Amino acid sequence: MMWLSGGFVFRRGDSPYHRLDPRVKLLISALMFVSTLLVRSFYELLAVIAVMVAVAAVATVLKRVGRTMVLTATFSAFIFVINIVFTRNLESSVLYAVRFVAIVVSTSLFFITTSPDELEQVMKTFRLPRDVVFAFVTAVRFIPVMMLDTIQIMDAQKSRGLELEKGNIFRRVRNMIPVLIPLVVNSVVRSGELAEAMESRAYGAVPRPTSLVQYKSSVTDKVVALAALALFIAGAYSFYYILPVQLP
Amino acid sequence: MIEFQGVTFVHQNGVKALDGVTLKVEAGETVALVGENGAGKTTLVKHVTGLLKPTTGKVIVDGHDTKQTSTASLSRKVGVAFQNPDHQLFSESVEEEMSFALRNFGFSPELVRKRVDWGLGLFGLDEYRKSSPLVLSGGEKKRLTLACILAWDPDVVILDEPTVGQDSIQKEKLAGTIKMLRSAGKTVVVVSHDIEFLWPIQPRVVVMKSGRVVGDGPAALVMQDETLLASARVAQPQLVELYRGLSERPPGPFVDALDARRWFEERMKR
Ligand SMILES: Nc1ncnc2c1ncn2[C@@H]1O[C@H](COP(=O)(O)OP(=O)(O)OP(=O)(O)O)[C@@H](O)[C@H]1O
Ligand SMILES: [Mg+2]
Repeated sequence: MMWLSGGFVFRRGDSPYHRLDPRVKLLISALMFVSTLLVRSFYELLAVIAVMVAVAAVATVLKRVGRTMVLTATFSAFIFVINIVFTRNLESSVLYAVRFVAIVVSTSLFFITTSPDELEQVMKTFRLPRDVVFAFVTAVRFIPVMMLDTIQIMDAQKSRGLELEKGNIFRRVRNMIPVLIPLVVNSVVRSGELAEAMESRAYGAVPRPTSLVQYKSSVTDKVVALAALALFIAGAYSFYYILPVQLP
Repeated sequence: MIEFQGVTFVHQNGVKALDGVTLKVEAGETVALVGENGAGKTTLVKHVTGLLKPTTGKVIVDGHDTKQTSTASLSRKVGVAFQNPDHQLFSESVEEEMSFALRNFGFSPELVRKRVDWGLGLFGLDEYRKSSPLVLSGGEKKRLTLACILAWDPDVVILDEPTVGQDSIQKEKLAGTIKMLRSAGKTVVVVSHDIEFLWPIQPRVVVMKSGRVVGDGPAALVMQDETLLASARVAQPQLVELYRGLSERPPGPFVDALDARRWFEERMKR
């Protein structure tokens, strides 16, 4: 839960990175994502992660990204253990484990700096069907709401003597029932009500509703996008053709 | 019974929901907590059972610092009925919903049955005993959550917005229940925007604004302080307005309509 809220939920920010055209942010995250898949050694991966940290610093989200890294690393531990058991290769196991962290961070950087509204615009520029865009953006938007709900529900049940942190693993799972049922019921009810409320406000009445936001890339956006592409190409070139290849 | 000592609470997102709250509620008192939306009332309530721990300051409940006590053991003494019933109903039947807390606290089966019957009767929910709590109407759900709390007979009862969605008869009954709790010696804290509901109960009124306690005193005094009420966006009870508009009036404001009527009839005779 903490991981999801820290790593993927947008919070308003005012850094130069936040102000970039959302499509440029998507490009940067996509390039970082692809880079993590292209690297063949731990050191190359470290270079990619260094770039991510730099981006996070510019976006003033270093703390959040740091926390996401630590939390993701606990998942990574599993990947590492499974890899080392089956392949008995230390370097490749480390690479896979760290790569997972890097993949999460590259995706996370996009989501925590892009508001649901911007997300909608990005999806629209890809000419995705309006209903698909709407469903996706609404889902993203409701994640924080669901998290607040979860806290409220846990509070209410704890006040009725429910002890979530007590007993063995089976007992604990069973203890979650009083939390999960209201959570699921609320979400189902809410989505039904949302649909009704949307329809009563004429959602889908015309095929092309008025759009108020038009994104135009500024010069900065274009420069940043080009710089990101250049860095990516330069990095890929030097890793593949200049630096000695270290196959894992 | 409940003591807040300079409590400040800052939410994760940096919102300061409580700002130096110092407040003491004695056993057996009936307190109404009022103030505009977002004043920090629910946040305050959550501190009483240790669901939230103060960022700075201390909360003492029945002699225990909430920082050192678990919510489960505090809840045995302090029953909190939260604002939104949809945040707690989950059982197969209304009956089971009510027994949930009783079982958690380890009541004997006979006692559970007895308390459930009592609660369902008190809140007029007997006919729904076997139905799912999720299909009840909004007002009935709310009443069920109140019954769930009163069922384990806590020493302190805290009700967050108990009148939301209740029709006038149910509100009157609820006021009756609160008075009954008071005469049983319980400590009652009611958070509400419904001034007309609170007024006849004549509680001690604590007014909150932006995380601070800005007013505190008997209802008859606090409710006449127009500047205070206006600054905290709390409405004045109609009976108090009426009372203040009279050129000749009794020593204190009318407690309820009947009280007012008696006084007027008395004057007509003279
Ligand atoms: N989980 C949370 N995370 C962040 N901020 C919160 C959270 N819960 C409440 N707040 C903020 O704390 C402040 C006090 O909220 P609180 O719920 O205590 O108000 P309230 O007096 O109960 O209001 P209402 O009359 O609307 O119920 C508000 O500004 C609210 O936005
Ligand atoms: Mg509240």
